[in-house]
Amino acid sequence: MKIDKNELLAKVSEMKRNGFDYLVAITAVDYIKTVQALYFLRNLEDNKDEVLEIELLPDNPSLPTIIHLFKGANWYERELSEMFGIKIEGRNAKRLLLEKWDGKAAPLRKSFAWNAPYESSD
Amino acid sequence: MLISSSYSLISTFNSWLSSGNILLNILALIAYGIFISIILSVYDYLFGWAERKIIAKVQLRHGPTYVGKFGILQNLADVIKLLAKEHIVPDTADKFLYAIGLPAMMAISVLLVLVLPFSPYLQATNLALGLLFVLVLLSFMPLFIFVSAYSTGNKFADISAQRSVLMMLSYELPMLIVLASVALLSKSFNIAGIISAQSTGWFVWLMPIGFIVFFVAMLAELERPPFDFLEADSELIAGWLTDYSAPYYALSLFLDYTRMLFGSLIMAILFFGGWSGPFLPPIIWLLIKAVIISLFIIIIRTTLVRMRIDRMLKFGWVWMLPLSLVNLIITYMVFIH
Amino acid sequence: MHLMRVVIDVPVRINVGPIHPSTHGVLRLVVDVEGDKIENMEAHIGFLHRGVEKLLENRMYMQACPHMEKLDYFAPMSYDELYVAAVEQAYGIELKEKAMYVRTILLELQRIASHLASIGFLCNDIGQLFTAFMWSFKDRDMVLKLLEAATGTRMFYVNMRIGGLVRDLPPGFEDSAIELLDYLSKRIPAYEKYLEKNPVFMERNKGIGVISRDEAKNLGITGPVLRGSGVSYDIRKNKPYYVYEKLNFRIQVRNEGDNFARYKVRMLELRESIRIVREALKKMPPEGSAVGMPIRLIGPPVKNKITITERELPRGECMIYLVADPQRPYRAYIRSANFINLSAIEEMCKGQRFADIFSIIGGLDMVMADVDK
Repeated sequence: MKIDKNELLAKVSEMKRNGFDYLVAITAVDYIKTVQALYFLRNLEDNKDEVLEIELLPDNPSLPTIIHLFKGANWYERELSEMFGIKIEGRNAKRLLLEKWDGKAAPLRKSFAWNAPYESSD
Repeated sequence: MLISSSYSLISTFNSWLSSGNILLNILALIAYGIFISIILSVYDYLFGWAERKIIAKVQLRHGPTYVGKFGILQNLADVIKLLAKEHIVPDTADKFLYAIGLPAMMAISVLLVLVLPFSPYLQATNLALGLLFVLVLLSFMPLFIFVSAYSTGNKFADISAQRSVLMMLSYELPMLIVLASVALLSKSFNIAGIISAQSTGWFVWLMPIGFIVFFVAMLAELERPPFDFLEADSELIAGWLTDYSAPYYALSLFLDYTRMLFGSLIMAILFFGGWSGPFLPPIIWLLIKAVIISLFIIIIRTTLVRMRIDRMLKFGWVWMLPLSLVNLIITYMVFIH
Repeated sequence: MHLMRVVIDVPVRINVGPIHPSTHGVLRLVVDVEGDKIENMEAHIGFLHRGVEKLLENRMYMQACPHMEKLDYFAPMSYDELYVAAVEQAYGIELKEKAMYVRTILLELQRIASHLASIGFLCNDIGQLFTAFMWSFKDRDMVLKLLEAATGTRMFYVNMRIGGLVRDLPPGFEDSAIELLDYLSKRIPAYEKYLEKNPVFMERNKGIGVISRDEAKNLGITGPVLRGSGVSYDIRKNKPYYVYEKLNFRIQVRNEGDNFARYKVRMLELRESIRIVREALKKMPPEGSAVGMPIRLIGPPVKNKITITERELPRGECMIYLVADPQRPYRAYIRSANFINLSAIEEMCKGQRFADIFSIIGGLDMVMADVDK
């Protein structure tokens, strides 16, 4: 299901009320022209799945946090901001998920060369 | 032949001790010191090896096999390795306390073994209040664990030190009460007197509850599983021993088995009639009993899961203390009154 | 001077790990303890990060299999299968029935091996001196021997191919499998008797790290941890793949939500897995081949650009979101069960004792390689 970034919070909380109370994962795919964020939600009782797709602009993308709805989103959001450089609004993540990493580059974006050495500034 | 010659040797030493000649007294004490060192080192070494072997057998492994026959020299190799390693004193350590903590504990545990008589004629000294002396020395142990733990400045050791105090609170009082009932039953604080009081029947039959409480308390005192909170390897890495390296670690291993020897000896003496037994010489009987108790302690180690420290406290106050009191009351009502 | 420092610093902040005997790898937990009680806890991960997802984007499809296996070294075949199944789905390849049966059997054997290891680790973490660990590892080893007979290696099998496996099951596999299952079904009650009759074991696990049903959903935990909290969800049942539909088994659920429930779910799942393997061996078509395509897949053009593949691995539900290019994945997102289960540890440890951290870690049964990816 494609939705807009501004709808995300309303949509997720509405779905949570409708029984989609299990967050499977949050991730993103870099399509170079856009970055697509993905929210996998699941209704455990009815055994239904739903994927929320949000198209973001590749420069300084940002998303609102859903941690108040799903505690399980905590590490996923941190992973997302670290791996894709997507800023999560409304969260003051004190530190990154992975150790020994300055977090300035976004490794899972296509612009990040997988075989070139990267000097972390920390 | 060996037995008779050793008997004549012992009687010679005893005559030296009672001769009143200071030089001969010192010589006899040195001879006894050598005897105790032999007992200690043989026991420590053999049980260091036997524990590995027994645990391995329970766990369907082989244990040490390569060094020596049945791997009997493995521990020697380990000790040599530990002595050859660099001795690292952590920066955070309080150097003086760090240096004296473990040796002091070793001294106390050797002293503990020293005051126990091995046979009617084979003892360093026959203290009139031997049992009280043992108790006093025993209550020094947690103190020194505390000191050595804090001296390293390691946080895991800090937790271990806090736990050692908690543990002392939980097992010391029940143990004391059981010892009181032993003294009550034998009407003596003298260890030889306690043994001779058991000529009619071992105290383990007369007060089984007391023995169970004492055994559990002794397991805690010896830091043996399921009460090995202080060294809890899966939680605290090595607890108060975390920052002790090389020779000190080797010393800690010796300490462990010396304490186990003391624990087994005192249990054999207080509850299993000490050296009394037919045919064999007294010292052999005492050692046989001590070895059986030690083996039992090792078997417990292989099977039980570690308790949690707060549960131990609860266990001590809710079960062990009332049981030891019940034991004291029964002893008084049935045997004395 | 020293004594002063410790008395003043309350709560004490302790670094558990990254090098520690029972953190199952390189996990660092920063724990604030007051006495023995945990005030606050923070988990630091990522010491083992290899960037597997990025690596997959730069490997041909079948080149990625060894990487996938290293994610969870206690259930390598399950991860391998997850990835190969994702590729199969992208290419729209249907499996032959024989191959489906063989995969089911091998996966369930892998689950048995993994759960056996987890029981050993749990006992180890709560301070037993390796006895249950050695026993369960001996039994696990027998399962591994059977898998070795079927695949050729003991641990990292890499025996999944597009459309099947590298090789068929060897002759005599069924008999030795049945023999092993008979042995295991005698061993499992023995473990239960040994552990559950032990009051100290029960005390260390009952009521530790309790996660309620709603909280479990909210935290998104999966696998035996989720089922231990009373949520009946198992991909094998809810979204059946391969021949699980035709086989008769139940989802094992416990309602307590504590550490013991997680252990018990694993124990019950061991029994279910044995049942599944037995039944699958019986129903497996005797003839036909399970061999898949050769390793160099140039093959048909990608049929489904975007696919979601979900599997119930021993440690929980894992998912691959695969955006496929003709030769290599454009993006392969791996949802690892351990990652999300570990993220709940801060919640579980709140208010527990210091020693309970390790029983909780044992109950979560995570593999840090999978957490860090």
